[in-house]
This record gives sequence, C-alpha cells and structure tokens, in this order.
Amino acid sequence: MGALLARRALLAIPTLAGVVVVAFLLLYVAPGDPVLEMVGERADSATIARLRTELHLDESLPRQFAHYAGGVVRGDLGRSFITGRPIARDIAERFPKTLELAGTAMLLAIVVGVSLGVLSARHPGGWIDRGALALAYAGVSFPVYWVGLLLILLFAVLLHWLPPSGYGRPVYLILPALALGSRSIAFLARMTRSSMLDVLSSDFVRTARAKGAREKIVLMHHALRNALVPVISVLGLDFGSYLTGSILTETVFSWPGIGRYVVNAIGRRDLPAIQGTVLFLSVVFVVVNVITDLAYAAADPRIAYD
Amino acid sequence: MFVAFIALLALAACRGGEAAHRRTLVDARDRYDPKSLDPALSTDVPTGRAVSYLFDGLTRFSPDAKVGPALATRWDVSPDGRTYVFHLRPGVRFHDGTLLHASDVVHSFTRVLDPANKSGRPWPLYPIAGARAFAAGKAATVSGLAVVNDSTIRISLDTALAIFPKLLAMPVASVVPAKIPADFGEHPIGTGAWTLVSWQHDDFVLLARNAEYFGGAPKLDSLMIRIIPEPSTAVAEFESGNVDLLYVPEADAPRWEQTDEKKALLTSAPALRLWYVALNTTRGPLKDVRVRQALNHAVDVRTILDKLLGGRGRLAAGVIPPTLEGADTARAPYAYDPAAAKKLLAAAGYAKGFDIELWLPQDPAFARVAESIQSYLAAVGVRAKIVQRESAAAREASRNGQTDMFVKDWYADYPDAENFLYPLLYGANRGVGGNVSFYENPAYDRIVALARTEQDSVKRVSLYRQADSLEFADAPMIYLFFYNELYAVQPWVKGFVAPTIFNGQKFLDVTITPH
Repeated sequence: MGALLARRALLAIPTLAGVVVVAFLLLYVAPGDPVLEMVGERADSATIARLRTELHLDESLPRQFAHYAGGVVRGDLGRSFITGRPIARDIAERFPKTLELAGTAMLLAIVVGVSLGVLSARHPGGWIDRGALALAYAGVSFPVYWVGLLLILLFAVLLHWLPPSGYGRPVYLILPALALGSRSIAFLARMTRSSMLDVLSSDFVRTARAKGAREKIVLMHHALRNALVPVISVLGLDFGSYLTGSILTETVFSWPGIGRYVVNAIGRRDLPAIQGTVLFLSVVFVVVNVITDLAYAAADPRIAYD
Repeated sequence: MFVAFIALLALAACRGGEAAHRRTLVDARDRYDPKSLDPALSTDVPTGRAVSYLFDGLTRFSPDAKVGPALATRWDVSPDGRTYVFHLRPGVRFHDGTLLHASDVVHSFTRVLDPANKSGRPWPLYPIAGARAFAAGKAATVSGLAVVNDSTIRISLDTALAIFPKLLAMPVASVVPAKIPADFGEHPIGTGAWTLVSWQHDDFVLLARNAEYFGGAPKLDSLMIRIIPEPSTAVAEFESGNVDLLYVPEADAPRWEQTDEKKALLTSAPALRLWYVALNTTRGPLKDVRVRQALNHAVDVRTILDKLLGGRGRLAAGVIPPTLEGADTARAPYAYDPAAAKKLLAAAGYAKGFDIELWLPQDPAFARVAESIQSYLAAVGVRAKIVQRESAAAREASRNGQTDMFVKDWYADYPDAENFLYPLLYGANRGVGGNVSFYENPAYDRIVALARTEQDSVKRVSLYRQADSLEFADAPMIYLFFYNELYAVQPWVKGFVAPTIFNGQKFLDVTITPH
C-alpha cells in the first residue's frame, strides 16, 4: 500500500507539471486581454501600460512562465489581477463549499442510485425496474442547469418547501445536491443493475442459493459486494462530472463554491485565478484517482497492486 | 430511500415565515461579487454601488442624478474654472470613530493615483494638476492638491473642467481614512451611511446602518446585497419573498407586464444607458457616411424596442439621453425607410449591398437585437454575418478596431452629456478610451473640448447640443434607444425611488412595513 502511494505520487509530478504548462499556454492563446478587464470600459492607455508592466505581462512568454512556475514551486499561487486577493485564500474559502455540495450529491447518488439498481436487478422487467429506467433516462438526458431550474420552480416557488438558492443551513444543500447528483444517480442505477444481473447469474450465487441462504443475504452479502467493483470505477470517473457540474449547479443555486469562482475568473481573464484553480483541481483529481484505486482493492481482494 | 428523502423535504418545509418581520432589505440586483470594497479598485457597477454605501465623496448623486454636497458642504470655483475650494462638513467621523480631516481627502486621491495600488480607474482624478505626472512616477506628490486648513481643501486643475464636481461623486473618489489596514478591500472603513458587517464572497454583503451618519441614519436596520448570478434564480427568490428588490432582465419585461398583480410591483426610471451598434468608421463600406446613414434608415428600431424590450425606452436621436441637459428632444431619430436606405447605398456605390460582420458579446438580449438587425439589413441587401464572442474577447476585438459593427451599450458613470459625447466619440478616445466607432471629426472634437472647459452652463449645454447634432448627421453608430431600467420591488418596501445613475440610491429613506 505504501509503495503504491509513493509510486502514484511520483507519477503525479509529470502530470501536474504538464497541467501547469497547458493551463499557462492556453490562456495566452485565448483572446481577451486581462488588463482591459481590470480597467473597465473607459480607460486610458497610460494606466493600461503601467498595469501591464506591473503584472509582468509585457515580458516574453518564457520569462512570464518562469515567473509563474517559480511561484507555483514555492507554493505561491499569486494574487488575483481583479480583486488583489491571494488565490490560495480564495480557493481555501470556496473549495470546502464545493466539496460539501459534491460530497452530498455523491452520497445521494450512491444511496439512491445503488438502491435503485439493486431493486431493479431483483425483478428485471418489474415495475420498479421500468420506473427506474425512466428516471435514469431523464437523469442522463436533462442538463443539470435545466434540472436545477425545474427543482427551484417546483420545491421553492410552487411548494415553498425549500429555499430557492443560497448557502447556509443544511436545507440549502438539498436542491443543489439533487441537481448535481441527478446524472450520477441515473448512471449508478443502470450500472449497478447490469452488474448485479451479471453477478446474480454466476455460479457462486447459485451455490449460495442452493445452500439455502436467505435472498437478502444473497443480494446484499454475496452479490452486491462483487457487483460494486465496476460501480466504484464509475464513481471515480464521475468525480470529474461533479467538478464540472458544480460550475453550472453553483451558478443556478448561487452557491459560493469553486465552480463559480473559476467561471468568473475566466470571464474576467483573471489569469492567476484561472491557473491556480486549474492546478488545484488537477491535484484533487489525481488524489481522487488514487483513492479510487485503493477502493478497488478494498472491494475486491483479488485486485492487488505491487 | 425516496421516502426518507421526502421526509427530509417535509422537515425542511417548516421555514417560509422567515421573510416576515425583518428590517433588512435584500437587494438582488448584482450578478457577481464586488471586486473589492476598496474604492481605489472600483471600476464596475457592483463594486461601485457597494463602495458608495460604505464611503462618501466630496459630492454625491441623488436618485434623480443631480450632483449635491456630501463631505463638502459647498465649493467655490475660481473665475477661470481651474481652482476649486471645497469646504468640508465639520464633525464627520469614520466608522472607526476617527474624525475626518482635510488631509484625508488629499491622501485618498493621492492613494488612487499611486501606481503601487494598481487602481484600474484613476482617470476621474486626472484633471487635477500634476495627477498624471504622479501616476507615472515622475512626481513625489500631486501638485494640484492642497490643504488650506483642517476644513478646507484647494484643488487646482490643469484646465478648466465644469464637470469636475460630478467626477468627485464617482466611487473611486471616495474619502478613506489616513490609516489603512492591509486588507482594506475586505475590511473597509468609510464615513458612509452603512457599515460592513460581513462579506461572504459570491454569496452576500451584509451592511448595518450607520447611526451616526451625517446625512441622517438609514431607516432600515440593515441592507443585504445578495449575489445571484442566474437571473431566473433571482426571480424565483423574489417570488418566494426572500428578496425585496430585483432588476428585471431586459427580455423578461413583457412577461412581468402581463398580469396586473405583477405589473404593480414594477418601477422604472430612464437610466442613462444607451444601446447602440458602433460602426467602425475606418473599415470598408462604413467609411462612407451615406452607408452609415443607410444602415440607420434600414433598421426599424421602434419595432425592436417594442417587441423585444417591451417598449421600455426611448429611441435615440443622438447620444445624449433625453433626461440630461444638452439633449435635443425635438430632433427626430433616423426614420425607418428601407427605400431611402437603398437609395443611399446605391449612391455610395453599393447598389448590390455588401458583406459585413456584426459583432456582439455573449448576452441573450443583445443576441435577439442583433438577429433582428441582421434581418433588417438583409432587406436592403447588406449581408451581415453575426459574430458572437464571449464578452472579454468581443470587447478586446472592438477596442483593437477589428469589428465592423458592434452591438453594445453604454452606462453613464456620471450624469452629464459629456459622459456620452467624450468617451464614445471623441477622437483621442478611439479604442481603449471607449470610442469603438473610431470616429474622428476635428469639428466635433473642437466643440466637445470647448464644452468641457466652458464655465457658463447655458453656453455649455448649447455646445453639447451642437456636438450631438454634428455626430448624429455623421452616424458613427446605428442609434438604438435609451433603455428604461426596470425594477421589481416587493409591496412592503416603501420609499424606493429607482435611481437614474447606478450609485444614486443609498436606501436612506427606504422602509419595510410589517407584512
């Protein structure tokens, strides 16, 4: 396990170095001048020139990169062009809120998705199965954005059950988590169902049933655990969709997380904020991948890393 | 599992009564977080509005966009218009209890001009003598700023500038205390009507009344600025009663006017906001004034305004809004006359029309307007290709002179005709200065320059009118309309007057009745 972690950490270094380079270069290819965004619509060229010098934007690309990479190596993500605040502090303020939202959405997806999958697999073609299929189609096909607005209309405006948007007590989490988790619920339900059906038709399940194990034990103990391996990999892969989904969900629900932060930063060409967030999210991604690998091993002892 | 979820929903349903009995006004007009609460960094509306709650300048705007005394009770202007003497209001205190001194004003202006502060918008203070030299690092102090005594300041200008008191009402010219903490943008200390309680980024800014405010303490206990990026969500919050004040999105206006109940919540003011299509006068067929006039005749602006924006506005016949002095309300807009347009095009040698690009930023209202314009132009043979870019990219292209036609708007920083004539069309402001028509007309420039220095207001207004009629004939843009900003206000909010200028409403007299 220790060796695995060490190896994965080493492998992550070139990945992240690549991210730093790509994130840096992409922004210089994209149109839109950061200084023009700083000065507003009516500006004077003296101020623009002065700001450009102060932000090192008038230097050659390699020098700018060296400047930036040097900061990253020292653990300094710099300050926002627009607000002047340290990027690291902005991220530290917002990421926990995104994690809160994504975590709840994921939990919701696991609980609802896996349950639906197991129930569907129990009686394939039954009414639960067909209902779950319809729900899954809806979950996969409707864009997060639209689902979010519908949820607001139904539960907040019409029924007055939940607050429409904002960040605060746990009630504020429910709608955005449901919107963010809707795709995953659908995926997990289908994934769990087919995986369960495979496992349920295998020899050891027949043996378990033959020895007289109760159906509940067969389903939950024998079948589900084996069916979970592909489910875990879907969850790991899906993590990316939680992060990208959070961009839309946080906008629709006025959730002050990292998704909205990066969208604002892109709109204003706030280079350090974009680069810092991209780098940070890449680190998160790498860590999640390692965790996924470890979770495989936990779910299925036959998978070993050496 | 779903049962558990529904139970959770039902538990959560117990709120709802929360909105009642508060004396906090919740304002949901802002779509994004203020950049900072430091006046020196104020370049946009959410920042400027928040700053103007917390701080005061020497002057200020009323909701109907008149400039009046704030920290200065009065000011004298020398006969040549180059020296202003401001008399400070006595006994004004900052939120931390320290007294306001004349030296604070000098220090505040110097701070905005100081290159170390990376202020993006020092230009309102550039008229002060020596300001540019100081900003460029060529002088140790701003020579035009002088403390006469503890309640008097003298400001000398490079040249006479009649609108100077209006520039001082802009958020960037707010007065800050002498001792500024390192994170001033997060923990501002002003003299303003409101003090900062808490700022949760991208979520809300909560302000409490300043009971000691020299202009009379606000009647409400607190003011919450909620940052809601998605307009539909803001509407949902309003309909749930969680939000008191809403900016109705342009394209939504007709829907709100459908029912009497909703219509009763609407209030409106003629905003100082011009919608137009900048025509780059240096590119292709647009170099020819006849072509530019033809484009104006080709578009049925009245129908666009009525059908797409609920008729909320007034057709533009020039760039000066009708509410400002200098506007010639008798001047007729270009008539919708496709035949005249075709004739002008033929005279210019484009009987068969031409191909051209119509640029716009990512914005649903602009997109609809652009599509209509495209089809009107097609009717007279002008084949416009729509190029929609994300705002930063579109704006950069237009400033670099790479756009033929650019659909945009202009929202005044201060209520004066000069704020339209000078940035939008003055020759020296081509490109980054705001003149994306790249219009240059020496006669026009001469009149505008004269108007800027003219002390006599009657003469100045007449010069404004002359300049406006001159550029109107030259048609460096397709004149669309001045939009009337539309607000939805909850029935329990009393005393709210829709402001003409963005920082003209500080909620001093607004109250909330029990509901």
